[in-house]
Amino acid sequence: MTSHFLEVDNLVMRFGGLTAVDGLSFVVDHGAIHGLIGPNGAGKTTTFNMISGFYRPTSGQVRLRGEAISGLPMHEVARRGVVRTFQHSTLFAELTVLENALVGTHMSFRPNIFAAILGVDMEDRRGAKARAEEALEFFGLLDFENEPAGELSHGHQRALGMAVAMAAHPDVFLLDEPFTGMNPEETKHMMTLMEKLRDSGATILLVEHDMHAIMGLCDQITVMSFGKFLAEGGPEEIRNHPDVIEAYLGGARHVA
Amino acid sequence: MPKAATLSIAWLGLIVFLLALPHGLSFSQQEILVFLTINVLLVASYRLMTLTGEWSLGHVVIMGVGAYASALYAKQLGVFVPVSMLLGAVTAALIALALSYPLFRMKGFYFLIGSFAAGEIIRLLWKRFRDPFGGPKGIKKINPMPDFDIGFYSFDFFEPVSYYYFALVVVGGSLWILWRIERSPVGLTFHAVHWQDKLAQSAGVNVRAYRTLAFVIASGFAGLAGALLAHYIGTINPNSFDVELMVFVLTWAIVGGTATFYGPILGCVVLSILNEVVLRELGFEQMRPLIYGLILICSVLFLPKGLESVVQNYLRRRNGKAMAEKGSAA
Amino acid sequence: MGELLAQTALNALYAASYLSLVAVGLVLIFGVMGVINFAHGELFMLGAYGVVVFYADLQLSFFFAIAIGLVFVGLVGLGMERALFRPLRDNPLGGLVASIGFLMVLQALAAMGFGVRMEHVPPVTQQVISFSDKVHLAVPRLYVIIAAVVLLTALWAFLKKTQFGWALRASAQDPEAAALQGISINQTSRIAMFIGAGLAGVAGALTAPMVSVNPHMGHSVIVAAFIVIIVGGVGSLEGAVVAAVAYSLVHTFVTTFYDGVIADIVGLSLMLVVLIVKPTGLFGTADRA
Repeated sequence: MTSHFLEVDNLVMRFGGLTAVDGLSFVVDHGAIHGLIGPNGAGKTTTFNMISGFYRPTSGQVRLRGEAISGLPMHEVARRGVVRTFQHSTLFAELTVLENALVGTHMSFRPNIFAAILGVDMEDRRGAKARAEEALEFFGLLDFENEPAGELSHGHQRALGMAVAMAAHPDVFLLDEPFTGMNPEETKHMMTLMEKLRDSGATILLVEHDMHAIMGLCDQITVMSFGKFLAEGGPEEIRNHPDVIEAYLGGARHVA
Repeated sequence: MPKAATLSIAWLGLIVFLLALPHGLSFSQQEILVFLTINVLLVASYRLMTLTGEWSLGHVVIMGVGAYASALYAKQLGVFVPVSMLLGAVTAALIALALSYPLFRMKGFYFLIGSFAAGEIIRLLWKRFRDPFGGPKGIKKINPMPDFDIGFYSFDFFEPVSYYYFALVVVGGSLWILWRIERSPVGLTFHAVHWQDKLAQSAGVNVRAYRTLAFVIASGFAGLAGALLAHYIGTINPNSFDVELMVFVLTWAIVGGTATFYGPILGCVVLSILNEVVLRELGFEQMRPLIYGLILICSVLFLPKGLESVVQNYLRRRNGKAMAEKGSAA
Repeated sequence: MGELLAQTALNALYAASYLSLVAVGLVLIFGVMGVINFAHGELFMLGAYGVVVFYADLQLSFFFAIAIGLVFVGLVGLGMERALFRPLRDNPLGGLVASIGFLMVLQALAAMGFGVRMEHVPPVTQQVISFSDKVHLAVPRLYVIIAAVVLLTALWAFLKKTQFGWALRASAQDPEAAALQGISINQTSRIAMFIGAGLAGVAGALTAPMVSVNPHMGHSVIVAAFIVIIVGGVGSLEGAVVAAVAYSLVHTFVTTFYDGVIADIVGLSLMLVVLIVKPTGLFGTADRA
């Protein structure tokens, strides 16, 4: 069996009597932007939470480069190179923008308490700061680095969430509805940045409602409906897929 | 004047003040000064624990673990006292490490109740087992610090002034370490764990390990404070570390405010001075629990950010004013 | 041996009775307001001092003293709701800390008013029911058992059968939905606080003749009550009663056959184990913390 880069294999998640995700399988290729879409309640976010380690799947596996990562705690999943962002503005609102990004560098510059007390970790601290500022610059946030994160505009807060993830230098970005609450201008700009991220070698898996963004951005799209796999393909294929149109609009109109 | 120079002069001034302070005080006031110094370490260590967002009700008992351990090492095993104090601190940290396994399966209010229960169990063990803990009467005649001479000053630990200087050095060093930890990437991670543990986890932070780390360090320093206390007063018992003292610590921390390093220390110093100067002088010493209870309630109700917010508002206003003056001059 | 077991079981039944009165009040307050009242043991103490004042000192009827205890402690509860818990409604930890402050205030007031010495309350009656040579139940203890059964049944009926009870249960389950239904949170909080505090006061008043009344008597009561509500599942009234009985049996038997301190340690360890294994308690489902 050839091992795929990121592989979701027959995932099942049950909450009590409710089956939220039912035998879902798909593969994300290395260096791709991969969209996971579906009507409300299709189980996208649940799937996402299983891949990132937030939930432990009832059964099935998630594999990265052939190694099982499902069922691991979230920080262990992150340490294997899969870092997620959150819906809404989940940030350290009380910390400054720079400090937020510094938390993102945790894995590369693991703090050492004794070195910190003696002050012999200055090189690491400088390295972490450079890494954090690089991520902030990428997302156009460097001018705000000393402001409390809670005082940023909504669009900037979303971008900061991405910057925290980027500072961790993951192999896979899991982006949970990254465009929610952004105006078309900001969405467009963010799409360009994501393409830049991909071109630098990152793999991106995103859950999103904004069909326009999904269709314009993704290399590959997986569609879910009622917890199950529905269809997969490139944007053009998905746009015209009869099952997808059926699922979204009851067959009434064209998707997006 | 450059800012760095102003700061150095301020620190120098503080050190001179702290060194000169006991000489203007009566014998009993000097004793109180020793307790205050120890309590500063207790409350500062408590703050480190609260950085990760968990409020323990067992902190004072952990301090007692350090006190009992150091006293027993010195008395039963003949360990040299300063060494026994360090070992006492280590013991408190290790007990905290053991307790962290059950306690950090809980969060928020369950953790609060759990830490309270764990503390009560330890206190009951002291009460129950006469050997070696001395039962309800505790341990008496604990070995004092041995006197020594450092050339320009000879420490005579029968004198509170000498013990005050000793405690000042130990507490000062401990505060410096606590400060360095807080200002380091480790401290930043503590904050991250507090404010958004899920986001911290997604950045690869092992949240439970960091909660445990904060708990263990805080407990170690609380144990050190306990050891300092034990070898000063010479007698300890389970009631020396009861809920009442825990309420005092909570009050100091909350009245001072836990958002800054200096907040809880400020709370401890201000309330202790208030207690000694106002209550004792006016003969209201009996009302101490009542006053503390009322202060605790009032600060939760009316000053949720603590005394530090008063200081910060003052500084902000002054800076704002200075800025405005600069602006008008330019 | 059989007689000793029977006697110990009777003692446990008595302990379970006053403990469930205290714990049920604590659970009710937590359910409706989402705050743990650390001063609950001191409300118990106030009830006991009510008996000291009105029965032992003023020589009024014992049952009149208990009624006064219920109303007075209930009113103190109302005061706590208005002054502490209502302003801190969005801040459950703040409410808990404020109640710790209030605990200190009540203890200090009791110490100033009555001194720290133990108060002796003359027994209400010397009557004893004898089941055999060695198995007895003092009538004052029987009063406690009867009161617990009557009051808890009344509370149960109140919660299940009346409009107020319905409102109370609704806001315990989902405060926001209850508010949307037009249930006044202030109103349900007041009722819960009055009942919860009153039950603690009655429990303290009824047991006053059998214990040493002193300003610090609340401590052991609140520790026991915490164990009971954690084991029973915070938020479950039935769980609290079951856990009170179970805990009293364990505690009384360990005390009788071993010693009291060990019994306390066993109780607290039991609670820690429950917290570790199932933080919502053995019977509980509600989790507002």
